[in-house]
Parts: sequence; C-alpha cells; structure tokens
Amino acid sequence: MNKLLIPLIIVVVLVLFNSMYVVQEPHQVIITQFGKPVGDPVMTPGLNFKTPFIQKVHRFEKRFLEWDGDPNQLPTKDKRLIWVNNYARWRITDPLLYFQRLQNERGAQTRLDDILDGETRNAIAKYDLVEVVRITNREPMETEVAAEDEVILEEIYHGRDKIRLEILANSQKRTADLGIEILDVEFKRINYVADVQRKVYERMISERQRIADRFKSEGQGEAFRIRGEKDRELLRIRSEAYRKAQEIKGNADAEATNIYAAAYDRSAETRSFYEFLKTMEAYKATLDKESSLVLSTDSDFYRFLKSGDSQ
Amino acid sequence: MNDDQRFDRGPQGPQGPQIPEIKLPQFDAGKLRFIVGAVLVLILAFTSFYTIDPEETGLVLRFGKYVRSAEPGLHFKMPFGVERVLKVPIQRQLKEEFGFRTVKAGVKSQYSVKPYQDESNMLTGDLNAAMVEWVVQYRIADPYKYLFQVRNVEKTFRDMSEAVMRKVVGDHIFNEVLTVGRAQVALQVTTELQELCDQYETGIKVDQVVLQDVNAPDPVKPSFNAVNEAQQEKSKLINQAQSEYNREIPKAKGEAEQTIQEAEGYALDRVNRSQGDAALFTAIYEAYRKAPAVTRNRMYLETMTQVLPQVQSKIIVDDDLKGVLPLLNLNESKSKGGE
Repeated sequence: MNKLLIPLIIVVVLVLFNSMYVVQEPHQVIITQFGKPVGDPVMTPGLNFKTPFIQKVHRFEKRFLEWDGDPNQLPTKDKRLIWVNNYARWRITDPLLYFQRLQNERGAQTRLDDILDGETRNAIAKYDLVEVVRITNREPMETEVAAEDEVILEEIYHGRDKIRLEILANSQKRTADLGIEILDVEFKRINYVADVQRKVYERMISERQRIADRFKSEGQGEAFRIRGEKDRELLRIRSEAYRKAQEIKGNADAEATNIYAAAYDRSAETRSFYEFLKTMEAYKATLDKESSLVLSTDSDFYRFLKSGDSQ
Repeated sequence: MNDDQRFDRGPQGPQGPQIPEIKLPQFDAGKLRFIVGAVLVLILAFTSFYTIDPEETGLVLRFGKYVRSAEPGLHFKMPFGVERVLKVPIQRQLKEEFGFRTVKAGVKSQYSVKPYQDESNMLTGDLNAAMVEWVVQYRIADPYKYLFQVRNVEKTFRDMSEAVMRKVVGDHIFNEVLTVGRAQVALQVTTELQELCDQYETGIKVDQVVLQDVNAPDPVKPSFNAVNEAQQEKSKLINQAQSEYNREIPKAKGEAEQTIQEAEGYALDRVNRSQGDAALFTAIYEAYRKAPAVTRNRMYLETMTQVLPQVQSKIIVDDDLKGVLPLLNLNESKSKGGE
C-alpha cells in the first residue's frame, strides 16, 4: 500500500503541474494540441489550466517590441549619400497568425528588416535631403552672427514627419498578414557619409571665414567712419570758431569806427582839428635822428627866422 | 578542484549504492520529517515578507498577474513564489545622458565624450553638422506601464530621445541651435518627447531636457574661434577709433572756445580803446575850441620843439635864394646822419 502511494503521488503531482501554466503580465499564450492551435489566444495573465501532456504552451510578448535597424547608406533624390538609422516599435496583434507566419521573434525581426529597410530606401530616394532633415518651413530666429548673411533655406514641401509617416503606412500594409502591427517608425540618426561630411566641414569652415572676414571689415569700416566723423567734427568746430571770432572782431571794428566817426566827424572844425592833431602825432612818430629835413623859411616854424613879423 | 573530486569519486561510484544509505529514511523517519518541516517553515518565512524602500513602489504579481501595488514599508505576500514583487523607484529622478557619459560624478565630475560622438552628431536645418550633448531627466510615473507596456523600455526611451532631438534640431538652423535657439530646442524636445512617451505608454514622465555642450564638429571648431576673434577685433577697432574721437574732439572744442574768447577780448579792447580815443579827442577839442588859433599854434610849436632836436640834418632854405640846391650835398648829410 505504502509502496504504491509514493509513485501515485508523484504521478498526480506531475499531471497537476503539467495541466497548469502561468501567463506572465507581459505575455500572451496560444495552446496547441499535437501542433494544432486550440481555442483563442490567452491574453489574461495569471494561473491557467490545460489538458496535460498533449497540449503545448507557446508564449509571446504582448508589449511593444523594439526594432532597431542597421545604419544604411542611402542616396537621396538630390544624389547625396547619407547614413540612415531608424527604429520602429511593433507588437504581436494576432499571436496565432504570428506563430504560423513567423514562428518566433527572430523570424519577425528578419522580416521587419526586409520591410522597413526597403520602405526606408524607397522613401529616402524619393526626396531631397532637406525634406528628410526638416519638418517645417519655419523662419529661423535672428541670431547675432547671422544678422546680415541671411541663411537662405530651401523650401520644403513634405518634411521629415510626412516621409516618416509614409514609410510607416507602406510598412504597415506589408505586415498586415503577419499578425504584427508596426506602431511607429522614427529616424533615429541621419548623418552624412564620411566623404560628404568632409565637404560639409569645408563648407562650414569657409562660411565661418566669410563671417569672420565680414566682422573684420565691419570693424575697419566702422573705425574709418568714426575717424571721418571725427575729422569732420574737428573742421566744423574749428571753422565755426573762426567764423564766430571774425564776426565778433568785425562787429567790434565796426563799432569802434562808429565811435571814432561820432567823435571826429561832428563838424568841419572837428575834422580839421583831428587832421591837425593826427599830423602832429605823425611828426612825432616819424621824424627821428635819421631823417633829413629841408625846411623853407616860408614854413610856419621858420617864418620868424627872416623877420619877427612876417604876417 | 571540482573536476578532481569527481574523478576521485569515479572509482568509488559503483560502491556508493552498496553502502546502506537507503535505510536512512526508514530508521529515522521522524527526524527527516522534522528537517523537511523546518526547511519548509524557513522558506515560508523568507518568502512571505518583503520591504519597499521610501523611493520605491512595489508591484505584486500572483502567478504572473498584477494584483496590487505596495507602498514603502514591510509587507506580506503569499509564499513559495506564488506572489512575486517587482520594485520600481518611482520617486527617484532618473537621467539619461546623450553624447557623453559621466565617468565620475562629484564636485569635479569627469566626463567621457569621444566614444559617444555618434549620439551627438546631427544635421541642422541648413544642412550643417552640429555636436549636441544633452541630458533627459525623467521619472517613472506609472510603474505598471513602465514594466508591462514596452519591452526594453530604457533602450526605447533612449531611441525616442535621440529621434526627437534630431527632429527638432533638424528644424532649426545651425546658428540657432548654437546660440539663441537653445532654450526653445530644449523645450520643444521636452514636449514632443513627452507626447511620444504617452503614445508608447511607457509610463515615463519627462521632467526636463537640458542641452549641455552644443558645438561645431571638431574640424570646424578653429574657424568658430576665428569668428569670435574677428568679433573681438571688430570691437577693438571700433573702440580705438572711438577713443581717438573722444581724445580729440573735446580738445578741439576747447580750442574753439579759446579762439572765440580771444575774439571777444579783441572786441572789448577795440571798443574800449576807440571810446577812450574819442573821449580824449572830445576833451582836447572842447578845450581847443575856447582859443583855437593860439592852441593850434602852441601845439604845432610844441611838436616842432619836440621833434626837430632829434633830426640831426636840417637844412633851412630861404625861398628867395635861388641856386642853393646845387650846393646841397645830400650824400654827405645822409652819411653824417647815418653815423
């Protein structure tokens, strides 16, 4: 009795354990019986039961899964080679279909590689590089450096977001019968290939040089302008002062002349007296020991020399 | 060592079962039950409680199914792995670094940049290349979503951050990203990243996106410095010219003022003198008028008296004498005068 009990317990435990299975929170499960799917996929997590031994449990992720593409060298419509590295999120929507078509995640990733890489290539080749880089035609803000050399931006007609959505839509069509759904595709990295990169750097350097040269010449120009302004100011100040001084002097001279005239030009008498006075002053000033003087006895001074009464 | 032991036991193997070990449960069944019971009690004890740290929250799973969450403190659960606990640090602010990694945090943190240039290298809207380093600070707002909605959520989050940053930078021109547009870029990335997080149901709340170093790529850097230098040079030239201006103009203004003041002085001098002269003349004239003939003669004679002694050569000629002129030796008198 005792000898039979132990194997019996072991068998019961085995059967019991084989008829129970746990569905984890992030998982969904399909049950197959001799390889044939049985019932609906089990979506609710927790403890579940199945027919032991003959039914098999296949677990699949319920969560959003990642797909990270390899960086690809792709040509754009304007013949520029760029590295494009995008990623996608996807999930298993129909585990049964998924199980039938793709078997497991490795199969799914490979298929996604084909679909997404292909659609990305198609989309990139259809558009110019700017379309892939920018989203909108927004006006850039004013920056200190770019104030004068306006960056001329090519207008875009589609933009990164639209291209992304195009890839997504096209890929979604192709995954519809695989039991999976692509939720989102994003460009993670877009970069120039090395050759182009070097040329871009060269262009950036020359652009900076242009800006630097502009600054230098702006500085010089401004300095010249200030010097010119300074010279003009100097000339203005000096000439204005001269004009003012001359005006003042002229006015004074005129006033003095008026005063003299008022004093000397009162009558015939004052005029002759002034003449006499000035003549006397002139004699004093002009006659010195170097002068030779020939005087006639007719002169007023010597008229008494010949006779005490010449009158 | 293990292998050696196994080899040692090898030959003893066949002898093993012959030792009457199988009799052990039979002859001491009570003791065995006790040991098994004790082990079970111990496992029961150690698997039926758990603690949650202050910054964490716990998610309790019963047979893989989420049943409840637990606040910080000591809690009990069903033992033997029926209930398991996942701990998520919801209060902690987490951060992801892009384009660099903090090697050693501290007062003087050390950073590693070189190997992460792939992350920071991106294209701007005017098709230039920029190196953008940034940090995303975030918290786990919904631990259930964080754990069960997205697999590999951290990698997903990093991918999302990179994609959004590149998208936003791609919509700005190079100069904006480097200078005035920094704040706007950071803000826009924060908003769009949060939208994407909600769309993916990551349960992540983005607190802040901080732009760190935003630079030109290394080969282009020197030419950027050249621009800065040129800017300095520009200011220097302007300042020099300005200082010359400032040095000379006030001086010239002073000089002009001097000229004008001198002219004013001249004017005063001129007017005063003329007034003086006029007053003098008038005074003399007034006196003269009282006896014009005498005064006139007096003044004439006084002048002559004053003047004539100074003149050394004087020739007085009588008008009535004719022919005196040929006798006049002008040269002699001149040379005499010269002595």
